[in-house]
Amino acid sequence: MPDTPTSDFSAQSPLHSHRYRQRRDRLARALITAGGIGVLLAVLAIGVFLAVEVLPLFLPFSSTAPELELSALWQAQPYADGLEYRWLPYRLDEGEAAYVSLVPLAWGTLEAAAWALVLAVPLALGAAIHSSLYMSRPLRARIKPTLELMEAMPGVVLGFIAGLVLGPWVEQHLAIALTTVLLLPLGVIVLAGVRRCLPSSWRLVLSLRWASMWLIPWLIVLVWLAHWLAPLLEGWWFGGDLRLWVETQLGWDVEARNALILGLAMGFAVMPGIYALAEEALVDVPRDLSDGAQAMGATRWQTLTRVVLPVAWPGIFSAVMIGAGRAVGETMIVLMASGNTALMNGNPLDGLRSLAASIAIELPEAGPGGTHYRLLLLAALALFLFTFLVNTLAELVRTRLRRRFRMLRSDS
Amino acid sequence: MNIPGHTAVPPARSGRWRGGEGPWAWWCAMAVALSLLMLGALLVLLMSRGLANFWPASVHQLTLADGSQVIGVPVETRQRPEDAGSERRYFTANRDASGGIWRWVNVEDIRQDSAPEDLVHIKRMRWSDFLGRLVAVNIDGRRFDGELAWQRLEERLDEIRQQRQLRRELEATQIIPLIRRLESSNGPESNHDPGSNSDDVRIHQQLAELQQQARDLQSGMTGAVLILETAEGRRLEQPLEEVDTVLRPNAMSAWQKVGRWSSGVWQYLSEGPRAANTAGGVWPAIFGTVLMVILMSILVTPFGVLAAVYLNEVAHQGRLTRLVRIGVRNLAGVPSIVYGVFGLGVFVYGIGGQLDEWFFAETLPSPTFGTGGLLWASLTLALLTLPVVIVATEEGLARIPMHQREGALALGATHLEMLTRVVLPMAMPAMLTGVILAVARAAGEVAPLMLVGVAKLAPQVPLDGEFPWLHLERKFMHLGYHIYDAAFHSSDVQAALPLIYATALLLVLVILVLNLTAIFLRHYLRTRHGAFARQ
Repeated sequence: MPDTPTSDFSAQSPLHSHRYRQRRDRLARALITAGGIGVLLAVLAIGVFLAVEVLPLFLPFSSTAPELELSALWQAQPYADGLEYRWLPYRLDEGEAAYVSLVPLAWGTLEAAAWALVLAVPLALGAAIHSSLYMSRPLRARIKPTLELMEAMPGVVLGFIAGLVLGPWVEQHLAIALTTVLLLPLGVIVLAGVRRCLPSSWRLVLSLRWASMWLIPWLIVLVWLAHWLAPLLEGWWFGGDLRLWVETQLGWDVEARNALILGLAMGFAVMPGIYALAEEALVDVPRDLSDGAQAMGATRWQTLTRVVLPVAWPGIFSAVMIGAGRAVGETMIVLMASGNTALMNGNPLDGLRSLAASIAIELPEAGPGGTHYRLLLLAALALFLFTFLVNTLAELVRTRLRRRFRMLRSDS
Repeated sequence: MNIPGHTAVPPARSGRWRGGEGPWAWWCAMAVALSLLMLGALLVLLMSRGLANFWPASVHQLTLADGSQVIGVPVETRQRPEDAGSERRYFTANRDASGGIWRWVNVEDIRQDSAPEDLVHIKRMRWSDFLGRLVAVNIDGRRFDGELAWQRLEERLDEIRQQRQLRRELEATQIIPLIRRLESSNGPESNHDPGSNSDDVRIHQQLAELQQQARDLQSGMTGAVLILETAEGRRLEQPLEEVDTVLRPNAMSAWQKVGRWSSGVWQYLSEGPRAANTAGGVWPAIFGTVLMVILMSILVTPFGVLAAVYLNEVAHQGRLTRLVRIGVRNLAGVPSIVYGVFGLGVFVYGIGGQLDEWFFAETLPSPTFGTGGLLWASLTLALLTLPVVIVATEEGLARIPMHQREGALALGATHLEMLTRVVLPMAMPAMLTGVILAVARAAGEVAPLMLVGVAKLAPQVPLDGEFPWLHLERKFMHLGYHIYDAAFHSSDVQAALPLIYATALLLVLVILVLNLTAIFLRHYLRTRHGAFARQ
């Protein structure tokens, strides 16, 4: 560096200032490079840290886990009478025989994610199709940021509503919840049928382009109707008490904090992300294709199913995968809405415990360097790898799809 | 293509759904409507429950079929199974007199339901609220009855409130710092007996004086006793210094209620929590959340921008850079709890433990930086939001037309000058968007904080008048964790529920405002760069 660094370099001789500026530029570039690489390395260090910390579990002669057999992590162990998968890590701290099977936690994680996707994917794809195909432009410009706001809802609030408000309510009013789910699609079709018999001036007001707005009051009416219909339905089919019927006929426990409620809350959290990516994939499809199909007399729905979807499905697939990644790692909703019991059954009305929730609950109490600590880090590593791989795959699919669209556009 | 007039053309008439799009199109529309409805229902629920909590609800007096009296605030009515009538839950308070604060009453059993104006609702420091009647007030041995009692009571309550405020300030600004200084000079390493040091003696004297002052203030508050009567006719004596507010909700006009409501909201925002986080306010949690988020954005902005500038402007655009870019993008999808684990393992146990060994060895084994704290929480969240800032900034940089850069370079600017004078100012709104999105994400994130430094109850905020003013090693309270804790670790969730709603509403409002700002900023950015592209 020159010994007279002034900010006003124009006052100095042109040659000197030029050299000074060149040097400063080189220095700054070196600093930016170093800093940038440093930050990137720090971000990417997460995986390395987890792998290094977990490694002692798998080394044959390590001192950290003398009492632990690795097969206990994924194989059923003798428990009470029979072989079972159990997650009872606190026995480890007390020096007793360990039951540290990660299987029930992984099962809980996947079950929760699966229910979330079952609820979120139809909603998100339906919304994406409607807003890319039918919705009026000004409305679409408003709806997209609104759904983005939905994504920003903090998990702890969703978990609270699901676990403390919705869960107990649904437990009490199982029949109403079931009737609502059945009634909504039916009611919407009925309304669509009624609309066709209306005079055309009415039909113009109640257009499909604005359907997402004027359907809302009708949905509220339907929910109210469900309140009224539920006791009738319960009386006809389930002998007057749906909950009793579920418990006796299906042999399922009904818990207030169950996988379905959890799936609803998590579906709410995951849906906007899937929607945004799926909509992007649908809109990105070159217009020539769909215009061509419509010119041949296809309806918009036929265009969608025969032309647009076959082209755009990798994009939609990657949207769903990214949603799955988010659902697998969601912590607060699972923690608050699932009951956190490490069960392994397919009953959607029972509780579960996920990997992420286990980490959040147990890690502060597990001593650093101990076996329990490393097991939880192994769970974190599993989450990290899963989400990272799923996201990378989705990203690759999307990049390839985009390239294909670009080629399609340049062909025409 | 959106050609005006083209959209009204009736679609093709074929198939079973003659002239229509079929049921699926309607179900798709329903998906949007349902999502909006759920979002709206959530917001309305939070709004109504969260704000109604501060409204002074009218108190009812019931006469039941067996002749007994109940005084309470109705909370909910439930239909009992098999047409066995309905029951209503009343908030009857008075934990000291009756043991519980809720009572279920059969609606059919209610013979008489009235709302007399003389019923009082007293918010107390202990034993939850009181519902009943005010018989008399005893102030310094003199007894006042009737309306006079009310006047004296309110005057006295104002005095007590001021004294309480004075005492709190005295404690926070003078006594606690002194105790801290004593603790730090009498560490376990320096084992001289207290008092041998002249400085210590001075501090002890000062402390004794201050504590005497505090005791005087405290004793100035005593002397007034309320004589209360419960619904069953039992008399209670309630010392006035343990009373927060006294209301006669049934005698209040609508305007008085509005005034009471707004002062209730203000108290909630400005005071600390009481009764194991199930009552009182959330000021420390608001403060902790905001401070943590500010620290996080100070940490994340320079690093995020640096990495983005490197990736987009300096690095050779090859296969490796592309891979790194995909990697960074994907880190935004890695679960937040994994970042929490990283923060705990590397920042708290690793760096924090090492710092303790080097600089705070005298206080070991009780950790200073080797346990969760404000600094580690901010760092963890900064790492968590780094991908958000990098991606947003990179998008902004990529939107700047190449000819702007080429123009600057052609005029003789060096790379650095081109960056600082042309590119970065143009990318400013993008960076801001990124930072705001990062802040919005960080404000709602709770799971990693549970590992790296949030506390259920932190009596002191991490910022005060004591050197070095900002205490990075302290634990802090957080709005999101406050919700989780009150919802899952309180003994009576029903009693805590109204406050949880209010806290959830507050958190959602903060996040909505931040997100809306980001959305508008991005909109502004797009239109501006649209203008650039057209030039």
